[in-house]
Amino acid sequence: MVKQSAARPSMTKTPIIKQPLRLLMDFDAQIQRDGQQTSDFIHRRDRKFALNCEEHNSPSDPAHWLAWLGRFDNGSEQLAGTGQSTEQRWQRINSGFIALGAVLGIITMAGLLFYDGGQRINVTVIIGFVALQLLLAFLTSLQSVMGWQPWRPLLNRFMPASNPALQPLQPALMARATQGGGLSFAVAALLTLLAMVVTQDLAFGWSTTLNTAASGYHQLTSALATPWAWLWPSAVPDPALVEATRFFRAGKNTALTPARWGQWWPFVSMLWLIWVVLPRLLLRLLASALVRLRTRKLLLCHPGLRALRERMATSVLDTGAGHNDAGDLPDTRHNTLLQPLPEKAQLLSWAGAGTVTDKQTLPAALAAICPGPKLNVGGLASLSQDQQAIAQLAVSSDAVTAIMLVRSWEPPTGELLDFLDSARHNWPANSRVFLLPLAAETREPSNTATDRQLQPWLRFAERCPPGFVTVGDIAISTGLSHS
Amino acid sequence: MNQAPVFAVVGHPNKGKSSIVATLSQNDAIAIELEPGTTRRSHAYPLQVDGQVLYTLVDTPGFQRPRRVLEWLEAHSVSASDRAATVAAFATQHRGNLQFSDECELLAPLIEGAGIIYVVDGSVPYSPQHEAEMTILRWTGRPSLALINSIGNEDYGDTWQAALGQFFQIVRKFDAVRAPFEQHLSLLRAFGQLEPAWEKPLETATGFLDRQRQQRGQQAATLIARTLQQMMGYRHSRSLAEDLAASGSSQNKDALASELRKSWYQHQRQREQQLRGDIQQLYQHGQLQRQEAELEWQSEHDLFSEDSRQLWGVNKGYLAGVGFGAGAVGGVGIDALTLGASFGTGALIGGIIGAAGSYFYGDRLPLPTLKIRPLRDGVKTASFGPAPDTQFGYVVLGRALNHWWHVSHRNHAGRAPLPLGTTDSHWLESLSKQDRNILHRALEKARKGKSADPSDQHKLGQVITHAMKAYNDWQLKSV
Repeated sequence: MVKQSAARPSMTKTPIIKQPLRLLMDFDAQIQRDGQQTSDFIHRRDRKFALNCEEHNSPSDPAHWLAWLGRFDNGSEQLAGTGQSTEQRWQRINSGFIALGAVLGIITMAGLLFYDGGQRINVTVIIGFVALQLLLAFLTSLQSVMGWQPWRPLLNRFMPASNPALQPLQPALMARATQGGGLSFAVAALLTLLAMVVTQDLAFGWSTTLNTAASGYHQLTSALATPWAWLWPSAVPDPALVEATRFFRAGKNTALTPARWGQWWPFVSMLWLIWVVLPRLLLRLLASALVRLRTRKLLLCHPGLRALRERMATSVLDTGAGHNDAGDLPDTRHNTLLQPLPEKAQLLSWAGAGTVTDKQTLPAALAAICPGPKLNVGGLASLSQDQQAIAQLAVSSDAVTAIMLVRSWEPPTGELLDFLDSARHNWPANSRVFLLPLAAETREPSNTATDRQLQPWLRFAERCPPGFVTVGDIAISTGLSHS
Repeated sequence: MNQAPVFAVVGHPNKGKSSIVATLSQNDAIAIELEPGTTRRSHAYPLQVDGQVLYTLVDTPGFQRPRRVLEWLEAHSVSASDRAATVAAFATQHRGNLQFSDECELLAPLIEGAGIIYVVDGSVPYSPQHEAEMTILRWTGRPSLALINSIGNEDYGDTWQAALGQFFQIVRKFDAVRAPFEQHLSLLRAFGQLEPAWEKPLETATGFLDRQRQQRGQQAATLIARTLQQMMGYRHSRSLAEDLAASGSSQNKDALASELRKSWYQHQRQREQQLRGDIQQLYQHGQLQRQEAELEWQSEHDLFSEDSRQLWGVNKGYLAGVGFGAGAVGGVGIDALTLGASFGTGALIGGIIGAAGSYFYGDRLPLPTLKIRPLRDGVKTASFGPAPDTQFGYVVLGRALNHWWHVSHRNHAGRAPLPLGTTDSHWLESLSKQDRNILHRALEKARKGKSADPSDQHKLGQVITHAMKAYNDWQLKSV
């Protein structure tokens, strides 16, 4: 388990976002920011969050995840910015629609009820307007459900391009705003109607060019009044009123008591309330529910959430790749060159170089240089055998010149250094050792090693006391060119 | 809970101990050099899952004075039963002694209970000269496994295997640079066989490593899908200066198109490089030096080069056919997917489709992609892109899959530049018709600048995952 620091900060200081829209926007913004981070980091971070949730038995949903991430940013405006500003922008748009709707509602109703004493206010016109309102309200909802945005280009002119994550929500958000405006329009219009009923003597009547009988018109008004007929029977026009209040602009109808013209107002008010205000209210609530539903759906389908859940469910695997010493390489330069072998020398074999096990035969030139027996040192030879070999070569007072066969592919070790150090101390002054690295290939005759294999030996010779150790080259000695 | 197993990787200097550790710990930042004695200090590489260590690999220096150590041990041991204690006594006695610092470093984890992973180079002849160090290791009494690593081209593995079998419980061959991932897991499971208590943590670890590899594949697919969509839909725009906007001469238009095209190409190249960096980071190849030269205009490795088009592009017929769900060129068959003349029937078909195939691509990316928008808000803008057809998408995808394949199959011990060579058939051959159709539709949608919804993105990600598998099969078949 990931070890929790003793000084672990409190998890829930940052408030949990509950508004779906703000949550979606903040989540999306965090996912975008994560795009700049390394995948290792965000995996470690989110896995740690998941383990912490498990440990504390707390939810690991996006809201809690955001709160966890923001626990060090208490009070910071930056993190809360995206969701909050989106929400505020839409609040401003909603308020704008509400204000516009209220103004238009007052003006429209005042226009509909305009009465200069000469003409009646035609109830047929009001019924037609109500039908239009109803139609517009349903069309608004329909286009939001279908995702159709005919007003999009217009909106683009005034609003900056919205976040891609928000784009699928635009129809629903816009429908909510317009239904809000419509509701405001309807309520303001109703209040205007009531205010005018109170403050003026409105004379309603009904008129139509069509050859409609009063009974037919009564059937229409009764059908429209069905929803409230049981609640407020006097708001349902009776046949007598319908019969009495028909008017023709060309004719005169002065026989009717003036108060009779005003008896339509309960019907008109209820007509507006039930067929304009109520549908708008319901559709506004529906639009809000749709926004919430779609926001939640978008969050659930957000590719970032799928990736987040994967990160949370997947253990963090650290293979030990953090250590880096690639730049900490030893100095591989050297100033030493291969030297020709001496004319006469003693022959030493270090750790079995040039022996039968290497399946090599020594170059013929070497036999001429080293006529004496080959002494095996290092490798399988014991340390005392090494010392015996050194002593054997040191019997005369003359400086020792020795060629030591080594395997080019077995790099020089501390033991070889110890041997050469011991030899230098035991042999007379001016003694020299020529290292002859042999190649691993089994070709006949054996040759010196490749240039790449020689490099460590040249550097080894440089590290030895000056003048005592040299790397020899059989090719130079025999007049052959060395690759 | 039992302590997690530790494995000390030991051996003669310069036999690839660090290479083994680099590959198994997926760390390409471990110093690996042919200079003997590169590793002077032990370094532990724990494998942790959610902070819990499952096992640890310890890279150690090589033996420098094994005969002297063995001489000391033999001098201080009375019977076989005190050998492990004598080795511990040696380390205690010589702590701080520069002569035996390497031996003390490599023996320390063994004294503390680590398992032995003894590494030899199987490309050089076996020699019994190393028996001193093997004897020392046997004296520690720790469970041991010998690993025959091959640094060079020769193979003496069998001789080594026979000889090492006398000293070690398990002997395995493992090429640190070239071994496929399945062998890494197999080797780690073999580590678990050294002691019964180690089997479970190693089995768990290999399970996690296997899952990590699968997840990396999925993540790589997501990265490729996102890049593909972005590159296909990219449009480079620029506000026009008044004089240029006013002038409608074709010369000015050509100059403008040329400038915008250059910027568009540059952006696409950079985006491709970014994807490559992301993929390399995903597979923990931080030090990777690609053999591909810095991408330059008309370079043979360039995204917009003729080579790229021939290797990764598809022909016009395919583009048309797949759009209608045909999946492949009707009658001609999948062989005609490529544009080049390198495939079997290329000589016949190449001439016919070659000319058509060169359309809308490379330096021929045509002027029609230049759009000058009418005056809006007082500014006239010119834009170049997106790519006029999906051909560009196939090239980007082919190159991305090729790079991914090489990176994902590269061991962390590898230090050679990454080869990005290719073969002469088309990888799309291995992709199902249905996937080809989905891929084509996604490319077409991205090209038209339509934002992909989550479901589309998911679908494309899945198709890329299938494409990666198809590409892998195709590569293995080609190899």
